Amino acid sequence: MGLAPGPVMTASSPNMPPDRTRLGWFAAGFLHAARLPMFVMALTFLGIGSLAREAGVSLGVALTGTLLIWAGPAQVIFLGAVLGGVPLMAIALSVSLSSVRLLPMCVSLLPLLRGPKTSLLTTLYTTHQIAVTGWAESIRRLPNMEPQARLPWFMGLVHGLYLSATLATVAGYLLSANLPRELAAGLLFVTPIYFIAALVRNVREPADWLALAFGLVLTPALKPLVGAGFDLLLVGLVGGTLAWAIQRGLKRRGMR
Amino acid sequence: MTFDQWSGGLWPYLAVIMFGFLPSEFWRTLSIFLAREIDEGSPLLEWVRAVSTALLAGVVANILLTPSGALASVPLAARLGAMGFGLAVYFALRRSVIAAVVAGEAAIIAAAYYFH
Repeated sequence: MGLAPGPVMTASSPNMPPDRTRLGWFAAGFLHAARLPMFVMALTFLGIGSLAREAGVSLGVALTGTLLIWAGPAQVIFLGAVLGGVPLMAIALSVSLSSVRLLPMCVSLLPLLRGPKTSLLTTLYTTHQIAVTGWAESIRRLPNMEPQARLPWFMGLVHGLYLSATLATVAGYLLSANLPRELAAGLLFVTPIYFIAALVRNVREPADWLALAFGLVLTPALKPLVGAGFDLLLVGLVGGTLAWAIQRGLKRRGMR
Repeated sequence: MTFDQWSGGLWPYLAVIMFGFLPSEFWRTLSIFLAREIDEGSPLLEWVRAVSTALLAGVVANILLTPSGALASVPLAARLGAMGFGLAVYFALRRSVIAAVVAGEAAIIAAAYYFH
């Protein structure tokens, strides 16, 4: 990513025979994850593992959270609320609000991943894998791939992420020694710096720049106006719609 | 009722499933029915992608503006500065996401040492 164009971008790239097997595509996706995203996941989930230890849940429960919830912010909210003794129904509501953002991500990825013959079970399993990192890594790559390559490549990618998140949850739980404050700050900074760089890399058209800028600017503007949880959804809807409408306006005038 | 009251045996696992997994997974499952009518390259899909992008940018802004834990001990200007530095390195080094992450991390850890 960045230094060299990914080897898995198109079937026409020289080192990528179009007749690659499903296993080959899976391996290509896995190797893509190993280039950076797995390290980002590992750093994020080290933090989640140590938060779980702090919250007093067992390692098994912490791992169940990583494998089943599979959304970093939702897990942080869940564990943080357990730590604070928040009632379970209130935890469920906050977790659900934080995961609303998965809806547009799944809706934008599914048409790329799902073929006419994909079973409901496969679809359910596929949507479960979709979270922010997997979305950011694949939303711009999948359209350039042949349809039959997309699902195995995506599966390789997300299972690489799963592997690293699981190992890091265990490591964070077991190590959880008091990290120096400077390194703890560094761990918490991994998510924002990685996501912003990945979003900038994903930019292809004016709407992407606009959506990115509106998202950054609208968050502090809208936060005082709406309650926690809903603010993010509103930022997405307002910022995304504005960006999309402006781009459509530009296209119509033939100015793009 | 709190998590502590669901302690012992398999109860904590059931609590994770009921109050963590299901509330989150609901949106993923709902997407299957919403995505059914949308095909690749439709304007609706462009709109959904723009919404997701703005949302993710909002997540980043949230972490930067109202951080938790150790990151909160670094002043806002330093957090924004580290982000700007990471992005500058991203463009300077031929759009490398890895370089951006490394540079941003170096800047934030240095800032955390400086503003202790």
